[in-house]
Amino acid sequence: MKHHIQWGLLPIFLVLGMPVQSQELSAKEIIQKANDRFNGEKTSISTMAMTIVRPSWQRTIEFRNWTSGRDYALTLITAPASERGQTFLKRKNEMWNWNPTIDRLIKLPPSMMSQGWMGSDYTNDDILRESSVVNDYTHEITGEDTIEGRACYRIRMEAKEEAAVIWGHQIRWVDKKDFNFMKSEYYDEDGYLVRTELGKSIQMMDGRLIPTRIELIPAEAEGNKTILEIKEIEFNPPIQDQFFSQQNMKRVR
Amino acid sequence: MNNITIAWRNLWRNRRRTLITSASVLFAVFFALFFRSLQLGSYDKMFRNAIESYTGYLQVQQQDFWDDKTVDNTFRFDSALNRNIIRDPNVIATIPRFESFALASSGPKTKGVLVMGINPEKEEYLSKVPDKLIKYRITTEAIEALKQHADIPAKVVDLALLHKGTSYSTSDRMQVDLGIDDRDAGRLMPTIEQVTRFQNGNIRMGEPGAWVGDRLSQYLELEIGDTLVLISQGYHATTAAGKYVIRGIVKMPLPEIDNKVVYLPLDICQQLFNAEGNLTSLALHVKENSDDAVNATAERIGKLIPENQRVMTWRQMNDVLVSQMQADNYSGMIMIGILYLVIAFGVFGTVLMLTAERKREFGVMVAIGMQKRKLASIMTMEMILIGLLGILAGSVLGTGVILYGVDHPIVFKGAWAKMFEDYGMEPVMAFQGIDFYFLWQMFIVGLIVLISMFYPLQKIFGMKVVNALRA
Repeated sequence: MKHHIQWGLLPIFLVLGMPVQSQELSAKEIIQKANDRFNGEKTSISTMAMTIVRPSWQRTIEFRNWTSGRDYALTLITAPASERGQTFLKRKNEMWNWNPTIDRLIKLPPSMMSQGWMGSDYTNDDILRESSVVNDYTHEITGEDTIEGRACYRIRMEAKEEAAVIWGHQIRWVDKKDFNFMKSEYYDEDGYLVRTELGKSIQMMDGRLIPTRIELIPAEAEGNKTILEIKEIEFNPPIQDQFFSQQNMKRVR
Repeated sequence: MNNITIAWRNLWRNRRRTLITSASVLFAVFFALFFRSLQLGSYDKMFRNAIESYTGYLQVQQQDFWDDKTVDNTFRFDSALNRNIIRDPNVIATIPRFESFALASSGPKTKGVLVMGINPEKEEYLSKVPDKLIKYRITTEAIEALKQHADIPAKVVDLALLHKGTSYSTSDRMQVDLGIDDRDAGRLMPTIEQVTRFQNGNIRMGEPGAWVGDRLSQYLELEIGDTLVLISQGYHATTAAGKYVIRGIVKMPLPEIDNKVVYLPLDICQQLFNAEGNLTSLALHVKENSDDAVNATAERIGKLIPENQRVMTWRQMNDVLVSQMQADNYSGMIMIGILYLVIAFGVFGTVLMLTAERKREFGVMVAIGMQKRKLASIMTMEMILIGLLGILAGSVLGTGVILYGVDHPIVFKGAWAKMFEDYGMEPVMAFQGIDFYFLWQMFIVGLIVLISMFYPLQKIFGMKVVNALRA
């Protein structure tokens, strides 16, 4: 009799005893958390090195980057010597370039948007129109994979009809423990893979564990790759709005 | 007595008729030769100018450059290799070049431009850019000065106003535009030249500076001494950016080039694109430019250059021009064809007249017993002899005129010259020397004569003697 009652109550206990914060985050929430690790900050200052890899040559550019939200960014090229001193300013959907060699401020025209920034595989458009991975897509968990030894959610993101995004859909792998984007695949509207991004070298930067080496691999070009390395990053330092101005482009060091 | 002798004697029995008939053949051959020579010579000159002013007959390039003309597909200039190339029996000189595109800006205006890094001295072999530096410009001040001069007629001043702002690299064009004929030129031109003289300058290897096309300088509102800013993508995705003082203004014959060309010294251009020591092409100036010589030279040079470079001939580089040449050739042949039609009627008309005249004579011959076959045979001989006479005479006359014409081409002046130059061509119609086309013309005229012969033969065979005797 006693056993009977105990067995009967077991399911109730099991249900009540389950941890409240279960792993049943929605796909959208997972993406939100991953996105916030990087882009959710108010401001950031970082030092980065970008290596452009091509079949017969490669080149590395170093720069310092100041950002505020998603709309404002200022980049100062620090190396190599031939490029040093150039600055780029992003304000919402517009980009300017200051070149000290010719003493000219140039606004990048729409026709240049599809070209690579500084000759890399990141296009100017990528930099300017970073669409919201959270708001512009519908999300669905399609499974799990292990990337770089870490268990990840595999999430398929389908672009919403009204959203102004060039990608048809994306597949993203988000690390279950730290919510880093470990791998992303970008597909165009016809369903062809255009680009793959890999997050590597997870390290502690300013108190959080983030991939410090991001490889961008275009699908079409054999042997082409762009590697972005974050040397240091500071999250949420105080930066004034006036910092992101044309005058400051010429002054910043 | 054979038929030929009879035929010959027949010819000279009526000298006038013979001469008229062979004269029509003579003129046929002469005009055919004359026009074909003029056509071939003009095309030849036109295309030679086009080829020589830009690509040249042969170029050495990096193997991928032609299909993908980017700065990354340049090759390193090797002076040892250059010496070897110049040693080739058909090569006179090598002309190194670095060409690319850039954005040029002055103040608020920006334009896509063609940047050509050149060695100004070497370009004398090819594009002759230094000759295109402006010498005269009709400025507002120049027009005012002309008004002051008493001996400059009012209509010249009016024409100057019409051409305000126009620049000239030679005095001849300016003379034409201002409506001054050769008689007055000696009197008026010195004054005009003095008033419109343009101070121009040189670019030199090792010194930053640029030459700009006339139309481009006007669009960007830049003059000598102003600064031109160039920005582009350099070697291996570097940024190419530079400022250059404009040293001179050139006037290029083709407007589409004139409004977008910027010349820099070769080494300065290489520095701009971060590709020091590299060339986009090495053009070759050759002695013999016939297809055989060019192809043979290409083969020999091909053996000298390394694996990753290639030699291109002008035919490969100018396929649009080659198509144009073929089209022109065919249209020329059609024109000559029409000429032949006219000639054929001329010859036939004469033969018609000849036959009608001799109807009675034929009737008598047949009536007294000559076989029609024999008569026909003699007639045929006569026509052949007349034909040969005419062709020979026409060829001799044609040869004489053409040989003279080769040394003294037809030079255009005035409005005609301007029309030619607007297309970037020299205002000259040249003659083609003696060549295979001679044989063709003679052959075709011979054919016309033979065909015309059917008429009299038909008349002979179909003759009713009774009717002929009554003619």
